[in-house]
Amino acid sequence: MAHQAHAYHMVDPSPWPLTGAIAALLMTSGLAIWFHFHSTTLMTLGLILLLLTMYQWWRDIIREGTFQGHHTPPVQKGLRYGMILFITSEVFFFLGFFWAFYHSSLAPTPELGGCWPPTGITPLDPFEVPLLNTAVLLASGVTVTWAHHSIMEGERKQAIQSLALTILLGFYFTALQAMEYYEAPFTIADGVYGSTFFVATGFHGLHVIIGSTFLAVCLLRQIQYHFTSEHHFGFEAAAWYWHFVDVVWLFLYVSIYWWGS
Amino acid sequence: MAEDIQQKLEKYRTAPFDARFPNQNQTRNCWQNYVDFYRCQKALDAKGVDTAPCDWYKRVYKSLCPLSWIEKWDTQREDGTFPGKI
Repeated sequence: MAHQAHAYHMVDPSPWPLTGAIAALLMTSGLAIWFHFHSTTLMTLGLILLLLTMYQWWRDIIREGTFQGHHTPPVQKGLRYGMILFITSEVFFFLGFFWAFYHSSLAPTPELGGCWPPTGITPLDPFEVPLLNTAVLLASGVTVTWAHHSIMEGERKQAIQSLALTILLGFYFTALQAMEYYEAPFTIADGVYGSTFFVATGFHGLHVIIGSTFLAVCLLRQIQYHFTSEHHFGFEAAAWYWHFVDVVWLFLYVSIYWWGS
Repeated sequence: MAEDIQQKLEKYRTAPFDARFPNQNQTRNCWQNYVDFYRCQKALDAKGVDTAPCDWYKRVYKSLCPLSWIEKWDTQREDGTFPGKI
């Protein structure tokens, strides 16, 4: 029994699924404790445990793949399926919020004044900051594609530059959107308009932050020579996720910002 | 269909079928006629013309709308908080 006679990866026992499950338990019960007893201790504990789990689990995957060579072609294929299925589930997540938006905006009730935007709501001008945000994300889609080609062609310096630029564009979007949130003339409490606007764009913003973080990890890995021109699935997964975030924004922009004004 | 509005009002029994609102949920039918009555009143008053034609809309909304809605909307109009555009 010296070595395996197949190309698949039998993963060593790991504590991170358990710590992840415990973190989920602590965060959810912690949320309930916060709501009813005004203490954030349990929730914070859960959050810390979650961050530690993510860091160590993904660190272990990098060790298994990049350093120990366990990510053979069939294993990589499985990882590809996994990422695609995950992104598909996220598509359905956003589909729900778009459903909510269209349900309320296509047949506005008498309480809203029978019109959309509802009486008393001044929507944001879609041709001001939201249009700039659209340009920023579209540009970041170009730069991430540039980064991919640089990696495939072995252009180390260009890969680092284009990946860094992509991340900077992501931060620029987040900063602009944060400013818009601060300056907006309406809040999440302003009827169904506020609810649909801030929940949909809010979850999108969270995904921009997650995507930027994923890309930043790829930047660090690229700098440390983890990626080869043939094998860089971590980067591809991050790029797919980033394109997904961009597409969701385009739908948000057209539906809520433009048609919805 | 060249009967004038007076004849229509005399013949009135209840709100007739309105093809704009063919389905079971008649909320919009009530809302539209309520709003149309007050818009009609406002427009004809501004022109200094007799507002009798507007009474059709009043008959329809009085037939269709729940009384609580009419009271609520009347109060909102008095307070200046009615969300509809009149």
